[in-house]
Amino acid sequence: MLKRTSKVDSLKLDSAGIASVIQIGDSKGINSFTRTIAVQREKELFFSNEGNFNVYGIFSYPLPIPPIDEPLTIQSTSLNSFIKVGSIDVLAISAASILHIGSSEHIQSEARTLQIRHLEPREKSNRNDALGGG
Amino acid sequence: MNYEVVNRDICVGSIRVIGVSSSSLLMVGDTNSIQLTSLFDTPPASLIIGPFVPLAPQG
Repeated sequence: MLKRTSKVDSLKLDSAGIASVIQIGDSKGINSFTRTIAVQREKELFFSNEGNFNVYGIFSYPLPIPPIDEPLTIQSTSLNSFIKVGSIDVLAISAASILHIGSSEHIQSEARTLQIRHLEPREKSNRNDALGGG
Repeated sequence: MNYEVVNRDICVGSIRVIGVSSSSLLMVGDTNSIQLTSLFDTPPASLIIGPFVPLAPQG
């Protein structure tokens, strides 16, 4: 496959975080991976050493990627050898995401997130209040 | 299967994006293959109502 040249006049990116990639120029392969346990607590409380990825199934669940067993012949022709973009303005990239200017061969990325919501026990009197009693 | 692609002129004025997240890709260029996966789980068991004890620590 003949790869085209990417021409971008200006790029503005405010923030890049959590295993994200900014690639300017051609690449052969990119592989990024992230896993997250997102805990939302009713009270502002943080323990620095908690959380074990092995305990939760989502982090070991095999990806249901269908195998490509069909013989495939790709023929691509580029009549113009440039891809032109005036300006790119991105606020943020995060969680194993990729911003790529230029050509590549293989791009692979994986993100796994588990969300936990942790609420305080409800008192009986609160329930009465909610029902309009008291 | 025979797959034929003809790339003609492409010229974009401006691209404005708020966010690219969770295994997503913004690309200006050519590539042979892209494989992006994202899993998000918030099972019923992940809604905990009880005292604030830490989660199981890393083993």
